[in-house]
Amino acid sequence: MPDRADFEGIVREHQSMVFSIAYHFLHDRPAAEELAQDVFLRLYKSFGALESAEHLTRWLRRVTTNRCIDYCRRSKLMPRIGLEQVPEPSSPSRPPDPMLSRTLRQLVASLPGNWRALVILKYQEEMETEEIARALDMPVGTVKSQLSRALDFLREKASRVLGETE
Amino acid sequence: MSRLDDAFREALRRQEPPDGFAERVMARIQARPEQGGAWAGLLAAFQRPRLRWATALAAAALAVGAVEYRNERERRVEGERAKEQVMLALRITGGKLRLVQARVQRIGYAPRER
Repeated sequence: MPDRADFEGIVREHQSMVFSIAYHFLHDRPAAEELAQDVFLRLYKSFGALESAEHLTRWLRRVTTNRCIDYCRRSKLMPRIGLEQVPEPSSPSRPPDPMLSRTLRQLVASLPGNWRALVILKYQEEMETEEIARALDMPVGTVKSQLSRALDFLREKASRVLGETE
Repeated sequence: MSRLDDAFREALRRQEPPDGFAERVMARIQARPEQGGAWAGLLAAFQRPRLRWATALAAAALAVGAVEYRNERERRVEGERAKEQVMLALRITGGKLRLVQARVQRIGYAPRER
């Protein structure tokens, strides 16, 4: 078991990453906090098996994402927000715009679980396809095709929000 | 890099968890049920955002239930005591009545002086 003070430092260092993956996935702050706490509790138990800082970051991303997918499956919250609930402002707006960001987050939260995980890791964690594949233990080809479909879907829906045609 | 990519990057940027997150994680580690028994489990439940209210409500319901049970028991004991006093009063009254009845009968049968 790690030293308590050291472990608290690790929690502080990674809390925004873990919490944000959960929050963008679940779109529910209390549920995201609870899930993030569970991930750190599990990290505390598994700490001895981790070999480096990079390994720790990969482990946290993978476990958080898998927990989010499991949570949605158990809660039958997939997707949590229906596409019909996502507002589509008629007038174009320019980012960063809090309302636009909120709409895009809702749009992401309305995706099926696997697609949602890929999009969150791509945009929040700025990960490359190969990194995502390694993190989620998925074939690179599968990640590429699913990500491509998810992004096409998001672009089509979001282009109306942004008022741009790509 | 498209404007849309930037918009998604902005929308999905990292956010800080609620204040005291790390402290709550450490409290749950400290209070893991296998390390501290039932009280530790209850304490750990209080650290979980979704269980916090449920645990508080359950504790409040338990407290109200305990007070109600105690009040009900006191009422029952007082009722039993009052019932015993009534029974005692009735027994005494019955005894007195029997005594009076016996005297009345004695007077009724006594020979009259001429």
